[in-house]
Amino acid sequence: MPDRRSVLAWGAAAAAAPALTACGESAGAARLTRQTKRKRGQKVNLVFWTWVPLQKTVALWNRTHPDIHVDLQIVPGATNGGYQKMHASLKAGSPPDLAQIEYHTLPEFMLVNGLTNLSEHGADKLKDEYVDWQWKQCVFGGRLHAIPQASGPMANFYRKDLFERWDVEVPRTWDEFRKAAIKIKKRGGGSRITAFPPTNAMWYASFPWQRGARWIRTEGDTWIVDFNSKLSLEVADFWDGLLQDELITVQPDLQSGWYRSAQTGHFASWLGAQWGDALLRGNAPDTKGDWRVAPLPQWEEGQNASANWGGSCTAILQGSRHPEEALEFAHWLNTDSKSIDLLVAAGYGWPGARIDLEKSALGKRDPFFGNQRYNEVFEESDGQIDTSWKWAPTNTQSFDHIKDAFGRAAAGRGTLVDALNDVQGRVLDDLAAKGLKARSA
Amino acid sequence: MATATTSTGRATPAAADGAPAPRRRSSRPDKAAWFFLGPFLALFGFAFVLPIGYAVYQSMLKVERHGPLGLGEPTVGFAGLENYSLALQQTDFVDSFGRVLLFGIVQVPVMLVLALTLALLLDQVSDRWAGLLRASYFLPYGIPGVIATILWGFLYVPGISPITGALGGAAPEFLGYDNVLWSIANIVVWEFAGYNMLIIVAQLKSIPQELYEAARIDGAGPWQTALRIKIPLVRPALVLTCVFSIIGTMQLFAEPLVLRVLSPAITSNFTPNLSAYNDAFANANVYLAAAKAVILAVVACALSFGFLSLVTRKERSRR
Repeated sequence: MPDRRSVLAWGAAAAAAPALTACGESAGAARLTRQTKRKRGQKVNLVFWTWVPLQKTVALWNRTHPDIHVDLQIVPGATNGGYQKMHASLKAGSPPDLAQIEYHTLPEFMLVNGLTNLSEHGADKLKDEYVDWQWKQCVFGGRLHAIPQASGPMANFYRKDLFERWDVEVPRTWDEFRKAAIKIKKRGGGSRITAFPPTNAMWYASFPWQRGARWIRTEGDTWIVDFNSKLSLEVADFWDGLLQDELITVQPDLQSGWYRSAQTGHFASWLGAQWGDALLRGNAPDTKGDWRVAPLPQWEEGQNASANWGGSCTAILQGSRHPEEALEFAHWLNTDSKSIDLLVAAGYGWPGARIDLEKSALGKRDPFFGNQRYNEVFEESDGQIDTSWKWAPTNTQSFDHIKDAFGRAAAGRGTLVDALNDVQGRVLDDLAAKGLKARSA
Repeated sequence: MATATTSTGRATPAAADGAPAPRRRSSRPDKAAWFFLGPFLALFGFAFVLPIGYAVYQSMLKVERHGPLGLGEPTVGFAGLENYSLALQQTDFVDSFGRVLLFGIVQVPVMLVLALTLALLLDQVSDRWAGLLRASYFLPYGIPGVIATILWGFLYVPGISPITGALGGAAPEFLGYDNVLWSIANIVVWEFAGYNMLIIVAQLKSIPQELYEAARIDGAGPWQTALRIKIPLVRPALVLTCVFSIIGTMQLFAEPLVLRVLSPAITSNFTPNLSAYNDAFANANVYLAAAKAVILAVVACALSFGFLSLVTRKERSRR
């Protein structure tokens, strides 16, 4: 064993090292994207990290494109480990060529210079093939940084059988939603109109989004934080009312207990995204034929406003040696009709590509939804999403703050309005802690 | 080293068996000693000293941002103790220490009393059953914490849980604000009581039979033997399990992380470890996370050594 003196000496050296220089530590991507010249007939290998089960699609690409081989590697979903892995690989300078990233996480990757500027590689000419607002989610500083894959336009999944049994009309406005909630509480024998998941900030964000609130904007080089704007608090107040009068239940969503509730009719409707169809179909098989889809309730009669929940894109990470080939694959993956049909079957969401609903697998009638052409509702919804909604580059933390504060509110300690006022301050702190300029609206 | 002299100070059975008296030790270890220590030191340095040193180093760095909206090329700079003061200013982080302390004050004694009781009972039953019972008490330890938490999660979630189903309206809200900490304590007791029991059982086995015989001759019944002979003699095992449990409590992580999707009462700063994890991986601020990890290590160290010095001081004063 070393004696005490040498241990002290090591300690002193370790403490002094950072003072000398922070060498070897890179804050952003350690390697920048550069195109490698390819000889004729030379095979290129691309690595693709995703948590979406794209095996069949990638196999189809590899069969049809012998020159560019894609190596699909399944990583843990999003913040469960996938993003951590991507950040670590960027920092280490050994990233995969392609990666699955959600729209609301793109700014965090921009902050570490983690995405390849695709406009430099000629991606701008592809613009017309994609849904406009999804394309815009991938544009930063006027440059495209990812290829849109899918979104989650919102609508109202409801149990037609239950609404009819209790003689309740499907609400078209939020006013009607509250009235329907009161009726269901009276007549439903313990059931409620819907369940409020305090653990899901991303779900909740779609409601202020629909109302026209903007949690985050930019002005010059400053981030403007506005979680407690008048419109945002109006929405929170509406949900507070439902919670206080116990017109809705509180239940974390998309977990086993929630799926059981969906099946037993513990809640009669779910305000969910298009990709939720596969979840209901798979987890509430006994309710086949009972579900229908209606548009989101509106704040004013006759309006058509909608919002989005989730959605992701295919990014080419900073440090790729084959950005052109990667772009070719990403574009094929998200626009080729055969690829899209395979993706639809895998339940990945609403396509980022402009599609002809009639000709796509999405246009089919579905017996689970009583043979309704339910995706027509989502097609309409996708067209009505306000496209100026932005996410903070500290969004994962913002969601955590919302979850923490909503958890307290849903347990009867405070209100959602209090919660958003609290979140406002915390988001400002987060941005400042990251060394970014930020202020309240 | 201090521990080496105290352990050779006691007469071990091996030394009593007529082994040659140890040579007078020179002040420096010889080459052979270094050879045998080598593999340990190499691994210790690689898996312990190096990462700890790196964590301390990282805790003194920060990211500096430039350019419009901070989206330009970021750089890393020296932060001194900034991360530490930032961490200690976060009341949620500081509160999480209070939470795990409360958890430890309740959970560790409950678990150790249970482990001790099981060990003493096992010592009483016939050997034929002891093996089977010992294995079954120990079994929960063989289940990874994450899996155990998922299993218990099913028993806690209303709507699925047979427990809440059977209790109906009288069922407590296992995952609610006031109860979730104790629901986690229950999982931890279930996981580790058998493990701690095994350590105590091993110590019980090493008690020489003569002591029992003497006690019996003096007229001691099973109660008195347990209270006056067994419990005082398994004290070292109790101290050891207690130190392990204190460290384990401070590092509480997997259980709240897994239950978080089921319970809104578990915040992102529920325990110090969860807080550091979220900073590193949700918020991509490894430097702040490193500072929090160092603070946690210092607190855990202080608590374990504090506890150790408390019990050894008592021991010394008793002699």
